[in-house]
Parts: sequence; C-alpha cells; structure tokens
Amino acid sequence: MDESAEFQQLALKYMDSLHNYGRILTRNEVEADDLLQETLLRGFRAMASLNRDLSAKVWLLKIMKNSHIDRCRRKLSRPMEEELREEQDLPDSSAPLNPEEILVRRLAIEDVRGAIRRLPPVWREAVELRDIEGLSYREIAHVIEKPIGTVMSRLYRGRNVLRSLLQDPAYQAIQPERTRDL
Amino acid sequence: MTCSGARLKLFEYLDGELPAEQRPPLADHLGSCPDCQHLVELERAFHEIYVAPLRPDPAPAAAQERVARLLSSLAEPPSPRWRRALHGRRGVIAALLAATLLGGALAGLMLFWAQREASASLLRLADASVEQHQKLARGLLPLDIAAVSPGEAERWFRGKLDFNVRLPDLKAEHLTFLGGRISHLRDFDVAALEYRVDEKNVSLFIIPSEQYQKLGLHPEPKFKMVNRQGYDVIVWSAHGTAYALVSEIGGRSCTVCHSPEERLDATLKPEVHPAR
Repeated sequence: MDESAEFQQLALKYMDSLHNYGRILTRNEVEADDLLQETLLRGFRAMASLNRDLSAKVWLLKIMKNSHIDRCRRKLSRPMEEELREEQDLPDSSAPLNPEEILVRRLAIEDVRGAIRRLPPVWREAVELRDIEGLSYREIAHVIEKPIGTVMSRLYRGRNVLRSLLQDPAYQAIQPERTRDL
Repeated sequence: MTCSGARLKLFEYLDGELPAEQRPPLADHLGSCPDCQHLVELERAFHEIYVAPLRPDPAPAAAQERVARLLSSLAEPPSPRWRRALHGRRGVIAALLAATLLGGALAGLMLFWAQREASASLLRLADASVEQHQKLARGLLPLDIAAVSPGEAERWFRGKLDFNVRLPDLKAEHLTFLGGRISHLRDFDVAALEYRVDEKNVSLFIIPSEQYQKLGLHPEPKFKMVNRQGYDVIVWSAHGTAYALVSEIGGRSCTVCHSPEERLDATLKPEVHPAR
C-alpha cells in the first residue's frame, strides 16, 4: 500500500478521536475543525517520518498537539496549561473517592460524558486520552510533552473530580469563566 | 503498606501501570485488607459500567465532509503540468544557448539568460501563489484572523513578520476582506490576505521586498501578470512592499487595484498586463 492510501486509512480511522481531541484543545467547534484539517495536512506531509515504534493514533495526536501550540503562538493566545494552576479548584483528596454511591445511582453513559466535558482542560485531556482513547501513561506523556509523573497526577486529580461531579452534579469543579462547554 | 498508601496506587494498579517492584506489596495489602479489596472491586465495576463503553464523540457531518474533501485533494498527483513545462523549457534554453554560442553572441546570450531566469522565477512564484490560493479558497489553510478591518489586520501582522505589512488600497466594488494568515510561499513567510469578489476568492500575498528583488524583474512594466492553471497572478511592487495577487475573475482582477475609472499605465505591454 502506498503512503497516500495508508494515510487516508489512518485519517478516516482516527478522525473522531482527532476531532474530539481538537475540541479539548481548542474548546471551540470551529477551531477544532480547522485544527483537524491542519493536523491531517501536516500528517500527510510527514508520513515518511511516521515513527513505527509509536501507534499511528499517538503519532497523529502528537501532530495535533504541536499544531495547536503553533496556532496559539501565532495568535499570541495562551495554551491551556497556563489557564489553570493544577493545585486549585479540586478537593484535596489523598485517595480515590469511593465510587459506591455513583454505582448505586445507575447513571447513563451520557451523564458520564457530560461530566468529563466539565473537567478542567488539562485533566480532561489526561482522562480522555487514557479512559476513552486507551493510551498508556507513556503515550500520553509523549503526546502532551510532560513527564509521566505529571500524567499520573493529572489522571488522579481528573478522575477524583469526575467522581465528585458524578456524585453531585452541582459540584463546581472549575470556575465558570475559564471554561466553555462544547 | 498502609491503606492510604495502597489507595494512592490504586489507579496505577488498575491501569496496569504500576511498576513491577511495587505490585507484590500492594497485592499483599489487598489480600489482608477487606476494605481496600472492596474498593478495588468497586473501581473495577465503575470502569466496566461507566468507562469501558465511552467512545470519542463522533466528528460532525460537516467536519467529516471537509476531511473527505481534503483527503481527496491530497490523493491527487502534485501538479505535473508546471514540471513538464519547466522540463520543456530546459530543452529550449539549451538549444538557444547552443545557437547563441555558435553565433558568438555572448553578450546577447547573457541578457537572454537573465530575462529567462527572471521569467522562470516569476513563474515559480506564481505557481506557489496559486497553490496557496487554492488551499486558502478550499479552507485547507485556516485564517489566523477573520472578521477584522484591513487596519486591524495590518496591526495584527506587525512584529510577526520580518517586514512591514501594508495592505494596498484596493478599489474593486463588492470586495470583502475575509481575513489573513501567515503563510509560506516557496521558502519564505508571507502575509496571506483573503478577499471575496462576486463570490470568487482573491488571495493577496505580501512578500518581502528582498524576495521580490531576487526575481530580477525589469522595473517596467510595473505589473507583471501571468496565467497559471487558469488563475491570473499579478505581481508588483509599490512603496517598498511587494505583492502577488491571485484570482480567477479574469480582466476584473486589474480593477481590484485600479478603480474602473482609472486609466491603466499606457506604457504597459499588452502581453504582460493585457487590457481584457
């Protein structure tokens, strides 16, 4: 199979994952759409440099992250890491919250999806890359260019806040002016 | 291991990411602590019921269509026409060179070469401009700024490029400024500005003056116009700023810069700046 045909297959296979990640990064449907286009264009041009040691999905997600950072630099806007100090706005829990109450409530999957969307961006990024995209800690660290310890911390905090949101939908995980629901 | 220590490692353990050397002490603790073991079972149930069924939200239909269009355009072979044209010209140049050498007209040859090189440079710039224009018009290259005035656009570009961006005073009626972005023509950055005239996109590239000078174009006529792949490309320089304008609106492309009442420079050669 030539590279062009292989790239088309990859793009179609991971289109939903990439668009979803674009939404997390940009928090804007239109910009997510543009970011997806730019990512695919860059990916196509860089197909020859595809790192076969990584999964193609991780490779494309990484291209999207880099494209997003470049776009932020061009627009002189702040990347999402700067928008939130990770130490704030979360329960100071030293252990995972007990999910028993959530299991008893028998929530719909859409409720869980909605709660994930309400997570602060950097935690949502880690939770989605792990729990929805199935990336390993090492792969997440590669995509977001952070140490594995940071990935673990973000996952830990994100999952705890997610449980708080599912136990009590009125729980305010984040300050409203810092987020926009999609 | 204490309960709090065990619970701090719970997510890593369930994710299969706990380092091998940390697994035995945690397993020992779970074997002897019913509360922590119960928490592990609850977390496994939580994952099975609420996490495992999660899938990424599907991309909207419009995004899927754009991706399909992009992939379709990427699958097309890269414009072989200009490559063939350039290849053909190499033969012409070689033949002319040989003839000129045989005639001993070395000075004439040098002049011819300079002109031909300038022409080839202009064509290369025009081809690159057309390629960028197509991507901008198809939405493959998103605009960095949109819905702003030309003045705001000038201010936005300030400091982002190594040269001053000065938008020309464009005269065409029904001309709408869509926005702009920093783009690449061949191997240098340009300010790409997108306009709309009568439902057709017009791209204006503001290029560094030194790149324009490298083209080695004769100062007269001021406006150089070539048609590439069905697009009119007009290249010119004014007040130390160089421009390349790409459109498919035929003779009206001249009126983007000249008002309909304004007379064009009578010294312009028809084949370079035809009055269509």
